[in-house]
Amino acid sequence: MEKFYKKWFLPLALPAILLFVGVILIPFLVGVLYSFTGWRGAYFVGGGKNPFEAFVGISNYVKALHSEKFMNALVYTLKYTLIATVWINAVGLCLALLVNKISRGAGLFRTVFFMPNLLGGLALGFIWSFIFEIVYSKFVFGVDGLIHIPFLTNMTQDNTKALFALVILVSWQMGGYMMMIFVNGLNGISQDLYEAARIDGANAFQVFRNITVPMLMPAFTITFFLTLANSFKLLDQNIALTDGNFGTRMLATQILRTTRDTNPPDYGMAQAEAVIFFVMIALVTLLQVYLTKRKEIEA
Amino acid sequence: MRRYGKIAAFLLAVTMLAGTAGACTNSNKASNQTTAAQNGTAAEATAAATAPVAEGEYDFYIFNTKGENADALQAAVDAYSAKTGQNIKVFSLGSGTNASDALNTEMNSENMPTIFSIMNIQELKTWTEGGFALDLSKATNSDFKALVDAIPSSLYLTNDGATNYGIPYNVEGYGYIVDTEMLADLFGADTAANVLKDIKTATYTEWEALIVAIGAYIKDGTAATVTLSGNSYALAAQKGELASKLTGVFSTAGSQTWTYGDHMLNVAIDCVFANSAAAASATPEQLDLLKGPFLAYAKALDLKTTYAAGADGALVRGPEFINTTTAGYDAEVQLFADHKAVFMKQGNWVYGNIQKVNADIVDTLTFVPVKMPFTDADIQVPGMTVDSVSRSIPVFVPNYYAINAKSSAEEQEKAEAFLVWLNTTEEGQKFVIEDMAFIPYNADPAVTKLSNSLGQSILEYMSTKDTVTNAYAGAPTNWSGLTVGQKIMENYLTKEAWEEQDYQDIADYAIAQWKDMAAS
Repeated sequence: MEKFYKKWFLPLALPAILLFVGVILIPFLVGVLYSFTGWRGAYFVGGGKNPFEAFVGISNYVKALHSEKFMNALVYTLKYTLIATVWINAVGLCLALLVNKISRGAGLFRTVFFMPNLLGGLALGFIWSFIFEIVYSKFVFGVDGLIHIPFLTNMTQDNTKALFALVILVSWQMGGYMMMIFVNGLNGISQDLYEAARIDGANAFQVFRNITVPMLMPAFTITFFLTLANSFKLLDQNIALTDGNFGTRMLATQILRTTRDTNPPDYGMAQAEAVIFFVMIALVTLLQVYLTKRKEIEA
Repeated sequence: MRRYGKIAAFLLAVTMLAGTAGACTNSNKASNQTTAAQNGTAAEATAAATAPVAEGEYDFYIFNTKGENADALQAAVDAYSAKTGQNIKVFSLGSGTNASDALNTEMNSENMPTIFSIMNIQELKTWTEGGFALDLSKATNSDFKALVDAIPSSLYLTNDGATNYGIPYNVEGYGYIVDTEMLADLFGADTAANVLKDIKTATYTEWEALIVAIGAYIKDGTAATVTLSGNSYALAAQKGELASKLTGVFSTAGSQTWTYGDHMLNVAIDCVFANSAAAASATPEQLDLLKGPFLAYAKALDLKTTYAAGADGALVRGPEFINTTTAGYDAEVQLFADHKAVFMKQGNWVYGNIQKVNADIVDTLTFVPVKMPFTDADIQVPGMTVDSVSRSIPVFVPNYYAINAKSSAEEQEKAEAFLVWLNTTEEGQKFVIEDMAFIPYNADPAVTKLSNSLGQSILEYMSTKDTVTNAYAGAPTNWSGLTVGQKIMENYLTKEAWEEQDYQDIADYAIAQWKDMAAS
């Protein structure tokens, strides 16, 4: 089989490579080029179709970094990412630990927990919009509801509350996915280690801290990477839940709306923001992978 | 068995590959349509309407950003194609979808639209800078030149007052829509016509008293007497069938910032600037003159949102007022069509929406002007008085057909011929008036009669010249709904009681933001 794959490697991989180059790499490079020009969407400043006549140097980047809206979106996204990364991983890990403990119906529970991941971001946003605005605010946590918790009412109408609303929404969606990764990781831990710990008299918490977590490091690498990258890039759920109202615009929404905030639409600046966005996410996630990979243990 | 499994898997894979390969080899021009729909956010893609596309070559391409007439425009194009044998491609965006991303994509491709839409002078800047908007005086088709010359200069799509870049789609107007049957129920069938006439000419003080009286009537049935234009009318002692359904006086869409940030604010701007061109070239000193009108606007908005109707009872200003799920455009139309509110501030474009919800109500609808407590000092436009503003509704061109200067001469010629057919021939006008339910911009109010009750009401205002313009279109992009409207939604519509300081803050904020955004 090895020889077959070695012989047929290039023809088999070529379609994917071509697609990647054509759909991702080339547009990305063209975009980086355009971020140094005065691109207005259908034309370049000066009226031409030739980007090389409309170079503006790094002024788009300077404008983007000085833009108050961009900075607010950045800060909001950072706050969200911090909370979401921790929470989603915690939820995923808890679910995985729970699901691993039961012998009957584990398959059913795993399926049910994973299903929210199948919903698209937009549909999720509208469903949860309804839940936050009507179910939470009136029936469950409202003044006349079951228990009155002001923080959980009208969550889409306040800057801070919307942050947690988004976290709830995304953890509901992504929790199952992370759970699957952790389940896989947990199954890979040899039972000998647990037996040895039990013989040595370790309690549950010590077992968790000293055996489970270190052995799960490869899974943590993946889940942290995924949650970090996805939290930075969050778009559909943000638009569907609050549409950026009450100062809840995240970075991806901000880049999208830059062309609407300016007249004529400043696609050049939007592209510069996108490049900054890319560099930031790349740095953060690569750093994270490096740090967690160092902690992985070969058992 | 394993061998058959392998063969079956291989065949399935080949079938799938053949399917994808077949779908990919579409005509180049046809595939642009779906890519245009998929551009922009997912939200906009789901709202985009895709029209049936012509396979292969087509003569010219129309990109229509006014979603409301999508089907009718396709029908008009089909009729024209049948007549001339031309193959025309039409693409319409879904109603309310943002146009710029999709249109920019199309303009970048090889297959640019020859006819596209430009909404107002702010959008015009982009297309003149890029050299896409054709100066219509340079058109080649002689009938088209005649059509262009006949357009009155007040309807020009222009940034200097002289060069016209667009053919108007239609004229639209807005105001408080009221069902005359409801008025009959409130005041008695024999006085309803007079009541309507007197409301139109009433002062703001009388209007405010009317709203408060109806509010009390809904709450506990107190049948007060109101004065309108000097005449007294008494509310019916017993609540009639329609009046008992009322939960509030106004139907509002709190989550839609354009309803109060664009249209209601426009009436105040109309007091100082005669049209959008004047507003676009406003100096900071002129902008300071807006303080008085904006204060009046804030008071009128306060009145309107205090007496809002909800699904089961009065809708009080608070978090529920701006929920996207319960306070949206559809909810507003639903409440009005269910007779739960007396007035709804919307335009004649909403006719189709109301008809879908309650077809019985559409024949008895009419417009009443949007009233605000202006004083003589607030009015700056020559020839305008507090009285004349009080009786007028804004009537304006919401969108224009523009010709792409970068299209080939042949395509431009054909496109011009189509626009001539649409706007001057009887057949074309039938599509405009009946199918699109538009008021043609070149309609003569004296002779035209529309079956659409709201359109007819607007024609009446036009014939008595009781109209104002859409000066807000000259304000900086995103100033009206997305900045001022946003601020009002986030800070004031959730506040139960407004004070004098709130009116000042709203007015000051609006003026400061205009100055700021115009300078940048």
